[in-house]
Amino acid sequence: MTDLDSIEQYAYDVLVIGAGGAGLRAAVEASACGARVGLVCKSLLGKAHTVMAEGGIAASLANVDERDGWRVHFADTMRGGQYLNSWRMAELHAKEAPERVRELEAWGALFDRTRDGRILQRNFGGHRYPRLAHVGDRTGLEMIRVLQDHGVHQGIDVHMECTVLELVKDGDRVAGAVAYERERGLFRVFSAGAIILATGGIGRAFKITSNSWEYTGDGHGLGYRAGAELIDMEFVQFHPTGMVWPPSVRGLLVTEGVRGEGGVLLNKEGRRFMFDDVPALYRDQTADSPEEGWRYTQGDREARRPPELLTRDHVARCIVREVREGRGSPHGGVFLDIAWINEHLSNSEEHIRRKLPSMYHQFMRLAEIDITKVPMEIGPTTHYAMGGIRVDPDSQMSGVPGLFAAGECAAGLHGANRLGGNSLSDLLVFGKRAGEYAARFANENGGTTIDGSEVRRSIDAALEPFSRDGDGTGAYQLQFELQEKMQNLAGIVRREEELEEALASIANLSERAQSVAVPGNREYNPGWHTALDLPNLLTAAEAVVRAGQARKESRGAHFRDDYPDKDPESGKFNLVVRRGSDGEMVLEERPIVPMPEALQQIIEEQQQ
Amino acid sequence: MPMVTLRIQRFDPENDQRPVYREYAVNADPTDRVLDAINSVKWYQDGSLTYRRSCAHGICGSDAMRINGANRLACKVLIRDVGAKVTIEPLMGFRVIKDLVVDMEPFFAQFRSVLPYLINDEGAPERERTQSVHEREVYDDTTKCILCAACTTSCPSFWADENFVGPAAIVNAHRFIFDSRDKAAAERLDILNDREGVWRCRTVFNCTEACPREIRITKAIGEVKKAILSSAR
Repeated sequence: MTDLDSIEQYAYDVLVIGAGGAGLRAAVEASACGARVGLVCKSLLGKAHTVMAEGGIAASLANVDERDGWRVHFADTMRGGQYLNSWRMAELHAKEAPERVRELEAWGALFDRTRDGRILQRNFGGHRYPRLAHVGDRTGLEMIRVLQDHGVHQGIDVHMECTVLELVKDGDRVAGAVAYERERGLFRVFSAGAIILATGGIGRAFKITSNSWEYTGDGHGLGYRAGAELIDMEFVQFHPTGMVWPPSVRGLLVTEGVRGEGGVLLNKEGRRFMFDDVPALYRDQTADSPEEGWRYTQGDREARRPPELLTRDHVARCIVREVREGRGSPHGGVFLDIAWINEHLSNSEEHIRRKLPSMYHQFMRLAEIDITKVPMEIGPTTHYAMGGIRVDPDSQMSGVPGLFAAGECAAGLHGANRLGGNSLSDLLVFGKRAGEYAARFANENGGTTIDGSEVRRSIDAALEPFSRDGDGTGAYQLQFELQEKMQNLAGIVRREEELEEALASIANLSERAQSVAVPGNREYNPGWHTALDLPNLLTAAEAVVRAGQARKESRGAHFRDDYPDKDPESGKFNLVVRRGSDGEMVLEERPIVPMPEALQQIIEEQQQ
Repeated sequence: MPMVTLRIQRFDPENDQRPVYREYAVNADPTDRVLDAINSVKWYQDGSLTYRRSCAHGICGSDAMRINGANRLACKVLIRDVGAKVTIEPLMGFRVIKDLVVDMEPFFAQFRSVLPYLINDEGAPERERTQSVHEREVYDDTTKCILCAACTTSCPSFWADENFVGPAAIVNAHRFIFDSRDKAAAERLDILNDREGVWRCRTVFNCTEACPREIRITKAIGEVKKAILSSAR
């Protein structure tokens, strides 16, 4: 029996779980609104997965092409999401992103600049005009550093290397959280007027992923168990360009910026296969010839974008097709070639090193390949979860009063497929909104009472693995098995029997996770931490598979081999997953609310 | 797959009085990274082995450690570059919490002491502040820092004097001192114009050699020294 008096307790108006872009932005905002803010993060502050975002922040600043504006950005986002997006979120996002970027600049963020000193913007897949504000290929790192510095300076309380086990409720309302800190393995209890989940994605449910180890669906699991709904879980983005060789770095991201700067995709025959299959939705916007595509990447405003810059779902599938049909590269990918631009630029090698320094470095160091001279070998890698906690578009509050979500663990903005660059702007726009509304909620609704027995229950459950004998299967092995199954059975190309098999595996793994034993003690014990992460990851995986089974069509990132076409009827609903009264997962079709006429008009205008 | 021997410094605060070295034999390809080899020990041989890592891409800066005596990110060093027997130890100069995990708080305190945030009371303009390509270039290098502490913990001046602010903090001050938008250069120069500030640096270049981001740290420290001297005149 755990003695609650010996546990460290903290009280905040707003507790933010996760210190990536969304969590930091939310914490900064809540603090600016006068709330006492606590920020809990699984790793050291400043190490969050956001640092790996390379491409940039999508915002219609119109610094490079004055034809850009929020309407175009809105239409691009909806088209990219195959119209399953929350139109209200897409509208807010497109309207507010420029202001959020300027604000970041005012706080000291470094940006690449235009010749007249404005923030420079680059091309990216699915964006009609050059729209991504960036600094080289380290935009995420810069964003985190600026928010971190700004937040710490504001006096936000940070609990580093601290992981939340369970949310605690006071009636219907969320009231606090139980967590453990890694160093000593001691528990902490947080009470809060409002809680913001900003825990990122679920990439660690798959074997080949660009995601860091923290991405175990914590927010998805915490929110789900607290009664929040998950939505769009069938849509998992596979980024088309991850490294495939050497094996140790398989899945490591190769930024879309390579294609934005003129990089092209080739199969083993040297053919630019992306010209072979351009979806109808994008035909009018896509270049007819390599020559036109090159002009587009170099800023020619009359040119249309090359097919390599089509949306990620489509590019990833084309790569899978080439590989399956025997036209892949030696290690099971295809070629991404930026070196070819020497046909157009006399100083191409220096140009590539300057524009893509991290990529140059990454391949030089890890694969001994000089990308200024030879093509890279790449293939799809699990990158982003479009699905997550269903939130109110304006406030980011979930169905559970006082529980908010922002960033990747929330859902709605991206629909069936996210456009590159829209995640960093998502973090800023909705991180700020979550912070603002959470502070307001806490202020209006006052404090909460935490039920000691709930706290005790989650602590006892967390300690259980130490007292089990187990069959010798460690938490790591279960995680590996799950990754293997999800990769093979619920990956880029899905079919009914395989999804059924995945579901059976998840049930089996969930059962075995109940009896995992952990050797050693509580002090900084990574085996224990992995065991505690498992239930969240399993919940996220089950939601992906169940929603994947229920969506009997192919749309955006969800591709069904047995239903290869888009079905107009299926375009009328989102799939919602929630926890039923007996603890089982319940699935439901939720009709999409029709778009107001003004927004509908924008979509039509932008179709030309 | 060839065998590689990892000699890892272990320390369990609950059971060990002082650190001990343990050897592990693992299968590793020459193109595997040291991090992969350490992972393999943890996953298959000893689940209690403890170290930090997050992105495994060389960008978050979590897995800096001493590899064959040199500070490196474990995710950026290949096995073929370190040989068949590799010694792995925690960073020097900070308290070891467990195995390869050190207490980073003093490092973050150094970082915070140089006011690492933009200071400008003029109020933001309606659009962004403009900055010429040249103005931006001046401090580009020092914004690449990932706060991994490889530089500071390789510095003999820091080993000898834990109050030395250290190269990483100076690098992070540099980015604001030379940012045309910032107005508090004088304040930061004043903080660094101290026996425990830039003057503790003896230009040994260890920091520059240790930096996984290839920041020219010694050069940046030199620029800060020069700025102090010219502002004093």
